[in-house]
Order: sequence, then structure tokens, then C-alpha cells
Amino acid sequence: MASAMLFPRRRGRVYAIAILAGVLLAVGAFAASVGSVDIPLGTTLAILISKLPFINIEPTWTESFEIIVVDIRLPRVILAGVVGAALAVAGAAYQALFRNPLAEPYLIGAAQGAALGAVIGFLLPIGVTGLGYGVVPILAFIGALLSIFIVYNIARVGRLLPVTTLILAGVALSALLMAIVSYLLTIAGDSVHGIIFWLIGSFSLSKWSEVAVALPVVLFGVGVIMIYARSLNLIQLGEEQAQQLGINTERMKIILLTAATLITAAAVSFVGIIGFVGIIIPHAVRLIWGPDHRFLLPLSILVGAIFLILADILARTVNAPTEVPIGVITALTGVPFFLYLLRRRTRILN
Amino acid sequence: MIKIEIQNATLGYGDIDVVKEVALAAKPGEMIGLVGPNGSGKSTIIKSLSRIITPHSGRVLVNGRDIGTIPRRELSLMVGVVPQTPLLPSAYTAFEIVLMGRSPHLGLFQYESKHDLEITWWAMERTSTQHLADRRVGELSGGEIQSVIIARVLAQETEIVLLDEPTANLDIGRQIEVLNLIKGLCRQENKLTAVVALHDLNLASHYCDRLVLIHNGQIHAEGRPAAVITAENIEEVYGSGSYVHTHPLSGLPAVLPRVDYTKK
Repeated sequence: MASAMLFPRRRGRVYAIAILAGVLLAVGAFAASVGSVDIPLGTTLAILISKLPFINIEPTWTESFEIIVVDIRLPRVILAGVVGAALAVAGAAYQALFRNPLAEPYLIGAAQGAALGAVIGFLLPIGVTGLGYGVVPILAFIGALLSIFIVYNIARVGRLLPVTTLILAGVALSALLMAIVSYLLTIAGDSVHGIIFWLIGSFSLSKWSEVAVALPVVLFGVGVIMIYARSLNLIQLGEEQAQQLGINTERMKIILLTAATLITAAAVSFVGIIGFVGIIIPHAVRLIWGPDHRFLLPLSILVGAIFLILADILARTVNAPTEVPIGVITALTGVPFFLYLLRRRTRILN
Repeated sequence: MIKIEIQNATLGYGDIDVVKEVALAAKPGEMIGLVGPNGSGKSTIIKSLSRIITPHSGRVLVNGRDIGTIPRRELSLMVGVVPQTPLLPSAYTAFEIVLMGRSPHLGLFQYESKHDLEITWWAMERTSTQHLADRRVGELSGGEIQSVIIARVLAQETEIVLLDEPTANLDIGRQIEVLNLIKGLCRQENKLTAVVALHDLNLASHYCDRLVLIHNGQIHAEGRPAAVITAENIEEVYGSGSYVHTHPLSGLPAVLPRVDYTKK
């Protein structure tokens, strides 16, 4: 049957998912072994494996090695992976829903909205007390949702969302939000240093307690988006055709925008603003494996996680012992890619 | 058999009424042509029959049920649509686009089965688009895209198909091929009911069982092609620039321009 011949790509993409999952584990283990204290990769692996259930390995390593790997580096590596996956999937979802290749949490103001919400959360007296993370992620979520709503409605021309108006509205709103953030920082007093450090994006303060909050939220949001993978393909046809093929587009838009914004807010709450992951990863995946969201989403999760773990390794080794903000690394790789896409896009439009 | 009808509906967008108090019922196996000048409301009627717009008054019924109460997925198993000048996402292949027609038949996490792939391939065979299967739709011509969309609606396997100007971007050879295909599917044991908006009065007259001539948001005439495409009706609706004669071979009405560029 000739039709079966047309689907070799599907099998290739299934293999790609399996291979990338292996690469992710390898990169994660590597990331746990490098840093200011060099721990041999073999020892790192042994420490990690010994932590798996039902496995007993006689420790041949010092206790300080174990603390470094398990309590300091591992949560950092996992959080980097979770945030990379979250930003990549959020980018893919925004791009699909807005049918706009440049939609991305950072460029459309969602990350900045989350940042403003989070800063307000940090400054509120309740945030500092026992509640811990409670109020910061919630305000970040509200902030991100409000910015998406504003940008979408400003940028919309009828039923279309042109590239130019979306980017302009996103940039303008981001500027406003960051101005408010700057103002809040000037009146913040003592806590300002910590907030600035968080704001520019870093994994250096990552703890297991953060992983414990971020991971379930991101898993939930990504799961919701994955349910709609096939519908995201159909909505590329435009809302009318998607409706005629059985999609309740209004409900889908609300659920998916909420889910994508939720995982953006979770990422921003814990590591600050990291730009361009949501644009580099889905586009690279699309270029290699095609536009089908049933593969685009899982592949973006894996590539996004790998990318941000690698970026974080760079961030803490390039200038060691000083850390480079991870947003600097992602911007350095992301901006040229973004400009390339913008250039190609405008050429197509003309 | 699925029946679709419009009961005295006023249709439009926002506050504007485009079509006023129309009634229309498609019999199973019938090919109905919607004809009329630009902006007369043909597309509006098609959109109301696929629940893209809700009537300002009156009702649209599918099997006696108000169309607004039918979930979109259920409706998409009964009514398929070929939209006017469809925009397609350029990165997908033609095969992937046609395969999207199978979506209403699939469960939440279900992937297309061998059966779905076979129906997709059959649909591309019937529309002569197999050779385009692994081409990206961004590289296709307007006519090729139109054929791919028609393949998609065949893959959707609905009993009712609504087509909005399905021949607009096609050459005469492809126009005949597409309309023959749709007509053939209607004829096969009354398999398909087709509502087709057409600009070309000659194609409408030769392919449709029944024509509905729309003018200024109202049904101006309705019936067999010979009863609708008359010199009187055509002049009233389109002006005096054309004349109607009877095609010598088919015996059906045909409309040709009255060449007179000296008169205003």
C-alpha cells in the first residue's frame, strides 16, 4: 500500500524521541559531575544510581561528594531541564494557537508579566513568611495571564494576529512591565539584591523544594497541551476549518493559553526571565522533524530540557567561579536565530 | 440518510443581516447549486450550514436537530466543508492535510490506523492528487490546493458536503473533473448530498439537480436549472450584459456575454 510508504517519517520520529530521551539522561548525569568541584563522571553515575530504589551500591565516595551531587547539583540540573521543557512547549503552544512563528513567552510579554507578578509577590509581606513559594507563583501566573490577554487583544486585527503587531505589542507591554518592575525595585529596600539576581535568570539557588513545586505544575501543563496535540495541527488551518473538522476552538484556545501561561509562570517564578528558549527549540525541531504537533511537542520537551541543561553548564563554567546569567547564554544563541526567522518571514510576506 | 435544512433563517455577521428569511432543504443524494452575484450571501449560507455562524433568527436543522446543539465533533462526522480560497499551513505535506480529514473519526490519543491511511490515499486517488502527497502545501498552486482540500473532505467521509466555490482556482479540465467527481458521489446509491456555491452559471446549470438563485439577501428563484436560469431572471439579477440560450447538446440553459461595448 503506497500510503504506508508515506509514513516512514513517523517511525523516524519515534526513534528520535527514544534517542533524545537517552541523550537527556546522559547530559543530566554529565551536568551533575561538572562544576567548581570536579567529580569524576563514573563516581557521579554511581552516586545517582545508588539513589534509585532497590539498588544498593557500597559507597566508594566521600559524603561531601554525595551532598554536592544529590543536594546541590541534581535539583539544579532537574530544574534546568524542567524549565527548558516548559519554555519550549509553551513557545510551541503559543506559536500554534496564534498561528504566528514568533510567538514566544519572552517576546509576547508573558515572561515579563510573570516577572512583575513574582516581584510583587516577593515584596508582599506574606511572601517572606512560612508560606514560602505560595504567593509568588500564583501572582506570576496572574501577571502572565493578564499580559497575554492584553497583548493578544491589542495585536489582533479582526481574526488574524499579524507577526508585526504581535511583536510590537509584546515589546511595548514588556517595556512597560519592566519599567514597573524597576520602579518596584527602587522602593524595595533590603530584598532588592536577591530579586535582581533572580530576575536576570539563574539556577544557582535551585533546591529540591523548588523542584517539588515546579515539576508537578509543569507536568500538569505539558500534559494538558499534549492532549491537544492533534487539535493544534488542525488549528493551523485557521479557526473556521478547524471548527469544520470538529474542534471546539474557543474552548481549546482558553484551555491551552491557560496551560501554556501556567508553565511559563512556573518557570519564571523559580528561575527568573529566560528568553528565546521558546523560539529556538520548537523551530529547530520543526525544521528537522516537521510540523506535526504529536511529535513536535514531545521532541520540544526533550530538546528544550537538553538545551537548557547544557546552557546552564556553560553559565557556571565559562567564567567560574562567577556565574554568567543563563538568560545571557540563551539570548546569545537565540537572538541570531530569531533575527534569521524574522528575516525569512518578512521575505515570505513580501 | 442525513437531512439538512434552513428554516426561515436570517443570517449575517455581527449586527448586519446578509441573508433574510431564507428557507432551504437538501434532499439526500441531491446536488444543490447556490448561485448569485458577488456578496449575495452564498458563503453566508454555507457558513450557517456548518455552524460557523449562528442564525440571527430562524433555525438550521440537521436531521431535525438544531445545529447549535450538535457538538462540533459530531457535526463534523455528518457535514464536511470545502472553504473558499483556503489558507493552508505551508509546512505540512499534502498527505498530512488530507489526513486531517480523518481527525473527527479518531479518539483522543488515537493515531491514524491503516484503515485511515487507506481512506486518505483513496481520497487522493479520486482527486488525482497522489503525486502531490509528500509535497509541502506551501509549494502548491491554487488549483492543487483546491484539489487537496476536496480530497480532505472525501477523507472526512461525511454524507453532506458543502463546497464554497470549489472550482474557483481550477482550469476548465479540472473544474469538470471535480464536479464530475462530486456528482458521481451523489449519484452512487444517493451516497452524498452536496450544497455547492458556484459563480459559473454554466457549470451550475449542467451539474446541479436544483439551483437556488440568491439576490440581495433573498432567494430570487429556485428550481430545476431550466426554470432558474432564464433570460428574465438573469437580467434581473446580473443586469443586461448577458443572454441565455439553450445548450445544443445538453438542452440545458447556458449564459454567454452579449458583446456590445459601444452601449453603456
